Amino acid sequence: MAFVSSGYNPDKPMEGRISDIGPRHYTDFLPPVIQKNYGKWLYHEIIEPGVLMHKAESGDEVYTVRVGSARLVSVGLIREICDIADKHCGGHVRWTTRNNVEFMVDSKDKVGPLKDDLMSRKFAGGSYKFPIGGTGASVPNIVHTQGWVHCHTPATDASGPVKVIMDELFKEFQSMELPAPMRLAVACCLNMCGACHCSDIAVVGIHRKPPLIDHEVLENICEIPLAVAACPTAAIRPSKTEFEGKEVKTVAIKEERCMFCGNCYTMCAALPLADAEGDGCAIMVGGKVSNRISNPKFSKVVVAYVPNEPPRWPSLVKTIRQIVDAYKKGANKYERVGDWAERIGWERFFDVTGLEFSKHLIDDFRDPAYYTWRQTTNFKW
Amino acid sequence: MATVEFQGKTFEVDEDGFLQKFEDWSPEWVEYVKEQEGIKEMTDEHQKVIDFLQDYYRKNGIAPMVRILSKVTGYKLKHIYELFPSGPGKGACKMAGLPKPTGCV
Repeated sequence: MAFVSSGYNPDKPMEGRISDIGPRHYTDFLPPVIQKNYGKWLYHEIIEPGVLMHKAESGDEVYTVRVGSARLVSVGLIREICDIADKHCGGHVRWTTRNNVEFMVDSKDKVGPLKDDLMSRKFAGGSYKFPIGGTGASVPNIVHTQGWVHCHTPATDASGPVKVIMDELFKEFQSMELPAPMRLAVACCLNMCGACHCSDIAVVGIHRKPPLIDHEVLENICEIPLAVAACPTAAIRPSKTEFEGKEVKTVAIKEERCMFCGNCYTMCAALPLADAEGDGCAIMVGGKVSNRISNPKFSKVVVAYVPNEPPRWPSLVKTIRQIVDAYKKGANKYERVGDWAERIGWERFFDVTGLEFSKHLIDDFRDPAYYTWRQTTNFKW
Repeated sequence: MATVEFQGKTFEVDEDGFLQKFEDWSPEWVEYVKEQEGIKEMTDEHQKVIDFLQDYYRKNGIAPMVRILSKVTGYKLKHIYELFPSGPGKGACKMAGLPKPTGCV
């Protein structure tokens, strides 16, 4: 399309420039019933999977229908969400912190038609556009990242694995039959954007090969001290080398010290390390952020590597299903995955899930690694 | 890799318009870049920032932290933005011929 100006004048870039106005205030968008009863809610109920009711002091009720979303969506789909909001909810809609979408109505008789409308909408391929669920002890949306869609450091994809995992756990999304809510997260590299380090089950993209060094351009496009300082194991040092008869500044990497985190590539584009066969996913379990009963926990690595198998990642999905099933069977009510694993002991966790314990799971990073080893005779055969 | 010709000089640049090689920098580069960076007239203050960035890069192999840039030049961050509307990274470092900032930017 030919260029169409918005009114911005590139010759006078600072003229008429509006800045630092921040986001719109959220009260501009509240549905009338929320506005009226703001801060005066008495209690709430989960009426059925995906449908909540909040009761206010005034006696008002608001019904919320939560639907799944792919997070990565087109303007076309957002428009469709707006159409639904216009039709049923007076033009109001909200997104949750897990990127689900919530439609709110102010009386019970409006819930039925809204639900029927939502469940009747499907993509041409057959997937539900707006599946209802994600409340209570269920598997709500997966918090995930960019993957091969947009990022330059991923070791795996995000949207792809998330789709196949949610396909596998769709029943758990639509029902509330787990011992406690189960939060999943996917991050496509160890940067762990999102919630991987504190989720019940987390998938993290990992590399298994050290970076390649592009001696020709490294000196020109990288600030060498930053690349050196980016390494958590000090595997990188500045060095000099011959390139095409010329002495160039570069770095040297001790491969036996490198654990393939990719931090140096983040700082220096001349150290790429993505590799089709080397890259894959690690699976972590047992994290949580809430304070309910037990304190927040970090998730822990229980599967060191599953290969990338696009487009359906069958081994990854199978392993996650194993963990979910064992948890469903073994955990007490209200027990999160981490609470359950700590109660039965991690050796029993590996027993009941059928996961293999390998040397990769034993912490060896600096002094704190010691505290993750067992300094007691309390264990089960 | 794109090349730019300006006032008889040739510059190799990446897709964001950063110089590929610090050694390729010349005063013409500044003249060429100031247009894209929304700078009308180069002042002594602009020059002082560019000179310091280049000195620091030659000496240390990295661009200075913003606080160091502020402290040494005496310009508050607000003033640096007035001089270079795109900011110290995208504006000043690009003009000084330093490598493109990396990390989660």
